[in-house]
Amino acid sequence: MRRWLGPLAVLLICAVGVHLAVLHFAPGLIMARAMEALAARGVALHRFTAPLRITPQTQTVVRPSPDLYYALCRYDLRNPGMRLAVRMGDWPDYQSLSFFDARTNNFATLRGTGQAVAVRLLPPRSAPEQGAIVSPTAKGVILIRRLAPDQDSFAAAAEAGKADRCRLEWRSRIAAPAQD
Amino acid sequence: MLRFVVYLIAAVAGGALGLGSALVMAGLWPASNRLAFGDVDVAGWRSDFAIGSEAADPYTRARVARHGLLALAKSEAVYFTRAVDDAGEPLREDCRYRLSGGTMPAGWWSVTLYDAASMLPDNADGALSIDASRVGAGDWEAVIASRRPPAADHWISSRNAGVFDLTLRLYMPDPALLAEPGGALEPPRIERLDCRGEGAA
Repeated sequence: MRRWLGPLAVLLICAVGVHLAVLHFAPGLIMARAMEALAARGVALHRFTAPLRITPQTQTVVRPSPDLYYALCRYDLRNPGMRLAVRMGDWPDYQSLSFFDARTNNFATLRGTGQAVAVRLLPPRSAPEQGAIVSPTAKGVILIRRLAPDQDSFAAAAEAGKADRCRLEWRSRIAAPAQD
Repeated sequence: MLRFVVYLIAAVAGGALGLGSALVMAGLWPASNRLAFGDVDVAGWRSDFAIGSEAADPYTRARVARHGLLALAKSEAVYFTRAVDDAGEPLREDCRYRLSGGTMPAGWWSVTLYDAASMLPDNADGALSIDASRVGAGDWEAVIASRRPPAADHWISSRNAGVFDLTLRLYMPDPALLAEPGGALEPPRIERLDCRGEGAA
């Protein structure tokens, strides 16, 4: 019996280790694959991509709502000297600006019903600033949702989306590199 | 040599056990029940108010990444899902259902139909959901069916959905809903009307 204790211990350790590793890495891997899929579908880096209305033929992520206008911006703040200037244009009905990190956490959401919203997104480990949000991870996705349950309101939401901004810029207190 | 082989088999078996158990418990296994999770159950409509937040446990986080990616945290929206009718039977494309309810404790709400892969069913009916702006205030009714019902004001198409589920979105939820969902929410009822090949239920 004792000679099986060693293999049993190895079995248990491997089972627990792999179980925890799968749980730890699954969200990041799923999010990374989703971001690759979004990129493949034309969702730009550092720019809100004007969406098509959600239908069975245009859906790119699981469980999208066909009643909402979605605009997506992928970001990559691996360079600590950069930041993202984000603006959600005016919309008379419900709208929100939500931020998701590379592990799928919704780390910030700003509601903007009837008003425009502007905020800066800073790289991980940045010092807090007024009017800015620090991203927990270098990469992530920003999502604007606007209530637009029919074709006419969707067209109006798309028009309002022309005022949306997701722009990478140098942080003012860090000098930009000299241009050769 | 034999001892090495035994340890190798133990390591591989342990790895497979850990992988399989994690995939099943986190709802990532293709055949696992994607709805058997959540800390909130209101009349069979299930939700997890930790969705989207750092507080989500690893199982919820993995499950949401697979079945509800880019979902909002509960302060902005909560999501309830149900895969069975009021009699406890799975929702199926070849049956017709009456979906009914009243005012919801939120600024805006919708009910959307998804197939077993958590995607909108592949049809061009333009009837994927109903929402507060369409049904108006007060009590409402809709029919879920694979073909447009002749006399219903509101229709959700289940064409090409197979076995499906419904997601109730509640945006800008009332504080009472977050504090005591069972007391604040009277969720939609799902009554089976009939199924192909049988009489009215």
